[in-house]
Amino acid sequence: MSQYSRKFNPNDKRNKGGKAPPLPNMPGSTGSFGSPGGGGTPGSSTSSVVTRPVTHAIARPLFMCKPYVNSHLLKGNFKTIVVLPKHVDKGEWIALNTFEFYEYLKLFFGVVFEFCQHCKSMSAGPGTDYYWLSADRKPRPLPAAQYIEYVLTWINNRLTDETVFPTRPSNALVSVPGQTQVIASPQAGQAGQNWIGKEAGFPVGFYGSCQAIFKQMFRVFAHIYHTHFDKIVHLSLEAHLNSFFAHFIMFSREFELLDKRDLEPLQPLIDSFDEKGVFQGLKQGA
Amino acid sequence: MYNSGQNQQGMFGQGQAYYPQQGGPGFNPQQGGNPQNPQQQMLLDQPNSFAINNPSNGSSQQRPRTAGSLSSAPRDDDYVTIVRDASSYQPITRERATACKLKVELFYKQNVQHALERNQRRNESETRLQSDPRMSEERKNRQRANLGHQESQFLRLRRTRMSPDDFHTVKVIGKGAFGEVRLVQKKDTGKIYAMKTLLKTEMFKKDQLAHVKAERDVLAEADSPWVVNLYYSFQDSIYLYLIMEFLPGGDLMTMLIKYEVFSEDVTRFYMAECVLAIEAVHKLGFIHRDIKPDNILIDINGHIKLSDFGLSTGFHKTHDQAYYQKLLDKAQAPSAPKTSDRNSVMVDAIHLTISNRNQVNTWRKSRRVMAYSTVGTPDYIAPEIFIHQGYGQACDWWSLGTIMFECLIGWPPFCAEEAHETYRKIVNWQESLYFPEEIHLSHEAEDLIRSLITSADKRLGRNGAEEIKAHPFFAGVDWNSLRNIDAPFKPQLKSMTDTTYFPTDDLENVPDAPAVAAMRAAQQQGLQPPGPGEETGLPFIGYTYKRFDQLNRHGGF
Repeated sequence: MSQYSRKFNPNDKRNKGGKAPPLPNMPGSTGSFGSPGGGGTPGSSTSSVVTRPVTHAIARPLFMCKPYVNSHLLKGNFKTIVVLPKHVDKGEWIALNTFEFYEYLKLFFGVVFEFCQHCKSMSAGPGTDYYWLSADRKPRPLPAAQYIEYVLTWINNRLTDETVFPTRPSNALVSVPGQTQVIASPQAGQAGQNWIGKEAGFPVGFYGSCQAIFKQMFRVFAHIYHTHFDKIVHLSLEAHLNSFFAHFIMFSREFELLDKRDLEPLQPLIDSFDEKGVFQGLKQGA
Repeated sequence: MYNSGQNQQGMFGQGQAYYPQQGGPGFNPQQGGNPQNPQQQMLLDQPNSFAINNPSNGSSQQRPRTAGSLSSAPRDDDYVTIVRDASSYQPITRERATACKLKVELFYKQNVQHALERNQRRNESETRLQSDPRMSEERKNRQRANLGHQESQFLRLRRTRMSPDDFHTVKVIGKGAFGEVRLVQKKDTGKIYAMKTLLKTEMFKKDQLAHVKAERDVLAEADSPWVVNLYYSFQDSIYLYLIMEFLPGGDLMTMLIKYEVFSEDVTRFYMAECVLAIEAVHKLGFIHRDIKPDNILIDINGHIKLSDFGLSTGFHKTHDQAYYQKLLDKAQAPSAPKTSDRNSVMVDAIHLTISNRNQVNTWRKSRRVMAYSTVGTPDYIAPEIFIHQGYGQACDWWSLGTIMFECLIGWPPFCAEEAHETYRKIVNWQESLYFPEEIHLSHEAEDLIRSLITSADKRLGRNGAEEIKAHPFFAGVDWNSLRNIDAPFKPQLKSMTDTTYFPTDDLENVPDAPAVAAMRAAQQQGLQPPGPGEETGLPFIGYTYKRFDQLNRHGGF
């Protein structure tokens, strides 16, 4: 790897709360990991980012190096698969995409699992570590594999929670031929309000849940990029990962699912995608 | 297959050396394949074009660089070269990488496809609305909202994890070496379907994956009235599940057992429908290869549909070349039974069948049992399939000829007591094809049969179905309205789950295939069955399927 000197991470020290799953009381217990069924909102517990000062200039991370940074499975305008299709419910669109990002992110984690087992911390580059907030609200460092498994379990619990991501043809939605849809409980109490996915039967907190999920999914991306990208290259998966990540970012931009500050660990990569026009479609032979 | 740790067969190309999409100065884009290969693109309509690049495939080689380009071109500072080598990684990791790659490629392919189809549906709906000047704007908007609602429901369906628990079994209506077919009712909608279950381990072991995938593909792609509709396919760690349209009329085999022979008029109807059905399958680019009376199903109105593009009966085991060869060798070996004497066998078999209709039916019944077995019957298979030759679509027309023979004569032309005798007869069809004198056939009928049961290079239909349609036997058939006319036999049904036309009594006497039985026993004991784990899921990538219009389609009835 060429020693390209470049300051990669800002030196500011941050420790901020976010929306994240709580640490299960007993690691490995099969019980109610994550906020128990429907009770807590996704924002009720937090994890944190610890950024340590980086005193020396650091090497350019591999994922920022050519040719890998320019390797893509997809070309063309991501809008084709990102923008809300006409007449389609926004909640259903976000729900399906969240579900799919989760499914495929899980695959990438599965690929690096062999190596991730040796990761001592959930790092996202020199200076950035993600901590898990335990039940007593204390930030705890966790081995990355454990952190990610918690995250994936937590997301899975959300996605399979019918009160957050309903899948059954809901009784709330009664489609009367030739007439408009009648919406009954559980939304009846909030008749005045409006929220994403309301008409399709998603709860008030649905969008917030998705934001929390996206935030955690981003961290998994960040860890894979910063720690396991060489393995990804050896396994010839970088084009797939880059495109999948670009899709993820494009989608989260379109529906404002990620906070700009959370993107920092991979901001240079995102900038490079922007610079190269990855989101709008690579020009032929560019 | 995909069962090794290495990716040998990518989705979009094979074995290309890696090379970046935007090669730096050090790269020579003439080598390693063209990433812009138009065949591999899935472009959507302009301007929102979006496509899948030729992915870097599982090759671990670094694309070779010429010395000239190294010295002549200055390189970026941020240029890094890694010689890809994953050989020290755990096999499971390499396998996961392959699976990940294939799944992601399929995901984007399908994603683009979904967008495309969604656009099509919207455009069609919009065109319809525009062309109706009498419709009020309000009504049009309601229709648009309706389509949006359907699209939204489909999105929901796509993230719904389906399981066999979503269905309630009404009755087992078929058994095979790899699983069974049940009449089921979807719990939430009450709709009736046929559910085919296939044991993954067996499919994997018996090398049936290409077949099951082909079946899934045909069923999913065909939006044809001649092909059984597939509504969903899904899987768990043990089984593959196909949720298909239930055709209450049974199949042609059952009908032949009941009626023994058909008149030429009735035969003409079924053969004409089969011609259109086979033509439809061929137009999709598939070869059925296993057209036989058991696979010709009868719908609620008495019209036919083709099923079994895989191996519900486990029959495709016999498509294995080595297996055929063994049977042929057995038939020709000096140590084979005395009946391998060519003349005596033929005479013997024919006398046996002609002399007693009851015996024909006994043979048919035993054939039904055989249909449930691993081996199945080779009666309808074209010779080119199991001698070492390539075969094409014409093999399906041979099968049609043998079925037509059976409809008119009462037994298939090459039937014999033992499968290997049947093989021998088929290979030597010139000598063994025999029309019994006491059964009268019209000249046209016999001529059509003879022009179908003939060598592939002379066979009628080799240049397309039109040839067959033009045969004098079909004179007077209105090919365009065939499916709308009254069928000769219309099923009389008492209820939507009536299985009168499925002789399930026989089924009780059919033991489960050993693998199916073993799995069932393990499950009953509450053991975690030794099903394929996550990793053997690799070959089943792309199996899962959901049909857009399953919601408003006449699924069940």
